[in-house]
Amino acid sequence: MSALLDVENLSIRFPIKRGWGKTSWLYAVDDVSFQVNRGETLSIVGESGSGKTTAALGVARLVPNSGGKVDLAGEDFLALEAEDLRKARAKVQVIFQDPYSSLNPRLRAEAIVREPMDSIGTLPVAERAGRVAELFEQVGLRPEQMKLFPHQFSGGQRQRIGIARALATNPELIICDEAVSALDVAVQAQILNLLRRLQRDLGLTYLFISHDLGVVQHMSDHIAVMYMGKIVEYADRLSLFNDPRHPYTKALLSAVPSVDQSRNVDRLLIPGDPPDPLNPPEGCRFASRCPFVEDACRVDQPQLNAVTDQHKVACIKA
Amino acid sequence: MTQIDDTPAKARSPFSEAFEMFRRNHAAVIGLVILLTIIIIALIGPMLYPGDPFDMVWVPLSPPGEEGYLFGTDYLGRDMLSLLIHGAKVSLTVGVSAAFVTVIIGITVGALAGFYRGWVEEALMRLTEFFQVLPTLLFSMVIVSLFGASLPMITLAIGLVSWPAVARITRAEFMRIRELEYVTAARAGGVKNNKLIFSVILPNALPPIIVQAALMVGSAILFEAGLSFLGLTDPNVASWGQIIGSNREYILDASFAVTVPGVAIFITVMAISLVGDGLNDALNPKLRQR
Repeated sequence: MSALLDVENLSIRFPIKRGWGKTSWLYAVDDVSFQVNRGETLSIVGESGSGKTTAALGVARLVPNSGGKVDLAGEDFLALEAEDLRKARAKVQVIFQDPYSSLNPRLRAEAIVREPMDSIGTLPVAERAGRVAELFEQVGLRPEQMKLFPHQFSGGQRQRIGIARALATNPELIICDEAVSALDVAVQAQILNLLRRLQRDLGLTYLFISHDLGVVQHMSDHIAVMYMGKIVEYADRLSLFNDPRHPYTKALLSAVPSVDQSRNVDRLLIPGDPPDPLNPPEGCRFASRCPFVEDACRVDQPQLNAVTDQHKVACIKA
Repeated sequence: MTQIDDTPAKARSPFSEAFEMFRRNHAAVIGLVILLTIIIIALIGPMLYPGDPFDMVWVPLSPPGEEGYLFGTDYLGRDMLSLLIHGAKVSLTVGVSAAFVTVIIGITVGALAGFYRGWVEEALMRLTEFFQVLPTLLFSMVIVSLFGASLPMITLAIGLVSWPAVARITRAEFMRIRELEYVTAARAGGVKNNKLIFSVILPNALPPIIVQAALMVGSAILFEAGLSFLGLTDPNVASWGQIIGSNREYILDASFAVTVPGVAIFITVMAISLVGDGLNDALNPKLRQR
């Protein structure tokens, strides 16, 4: 299995101005590496502010990166400049979280879906209208809805338009940035099934960002758990859900509600809030909240080490 | 049995909904009717009521109604009605063109500052603040005195002192909208920066700018009247402000010569404000009923 996307040591930091000439750096994503195989789904999970969305948008060059390497289908994506980058954007498309702010309210649905084709020029002009109609059908919208404006659609329908737009340029990688978290449960299921069907039919590769472990379990082949800009655990789905090694992952999994009484035993609670990201602690970043913390945890940052072939953990006790 | 309505929904653009909303606002519609009447008078009035407004037709400062002159005569014995009709065109033209200059400068500065941020924003916003702290009347008087009191110069002077408000609104809207997901989506779709600014963000930033521009027409008319009152105007052109300014010395003997054009300015600016408020309500999605 070949990796479509190979991210190495990606870092993304933002300047925080503090008065005259003083700038601190906020490391939203700190030295993160992962691979996604063609046709598979890698999910990145983590709480708000863990840097999962920033990492994904950094891969798509939608936020400025400050170091690392992103190899997409054999091309060094971070090295592309101006025109080359604009053309290469056809390969990576994003499905956004909020179906209400992700569609331009002044454009008709067909124009929204058509926009990437027009700007990147992936198809001859004459074929674009036909492609829009085809996309509408693929995502389960009716042809007469093409002329409507975004505010005339429901949340689920709007998300379908967003999916059609993401498919317009025949991308190899689709980033689903919390693509279903703004929808209610019934609609979530429809959209998730649509995403899976499209993946199967079109051979798509997903980078799936979510905080909902139930959704992640349904969608993923591999899962990366992020905490404060770092990947703390990386594994295939079965290993992660059956044998979580990092205390943070254990806590996350124990928080998933389940109807199965036997699974719902020891809730592992983590106290407090994440530490100030502008002054991350020495050593393990989870040390301040970890129930199993030792003195050694506060000395060095644990590296992501392989426990098995498919399972890596950044914890000295794993 | 229940009938299910399966007729396809009709496409309704955000602007057609705003228009619907505007139509339901009676004050705004009345304002629009008054404004349109004034515009029509300004356009076809000179044909319906011919005669050179600068001809001296009767004794100076004769009260309204005498000798068939509806609004009397001014201090040189010129027909006030004719002056008012010709003045309408001048005042409205100055108002609209000054608002246009304001909007063009304001949108350009505000859009660049709000979109590019960084040093571009720093430089442009310092420039905006510089213009904002200048005393507007004084600065425009300086421009007009230096470069001559012609109508285009007066228009330009009004535009030059009033754009900071538009620039700041535009910048604020750009800063808000550029962070919305559909702008990120457009960037992901390979849309170029100039297209992002002008055809993705600007159309969505327009509503408050349109309101500001409408109100700007009214304040530009007032501004021009103020400059004219102070004598900074082309004496060969009859604007409403100029009529007031030239008759102001006779205010105690013939108050009508100042009052009549004053009322004309008042009605026009009020009509523009009503329309502006109506636009504000209609274009503000938070007030729009679904």
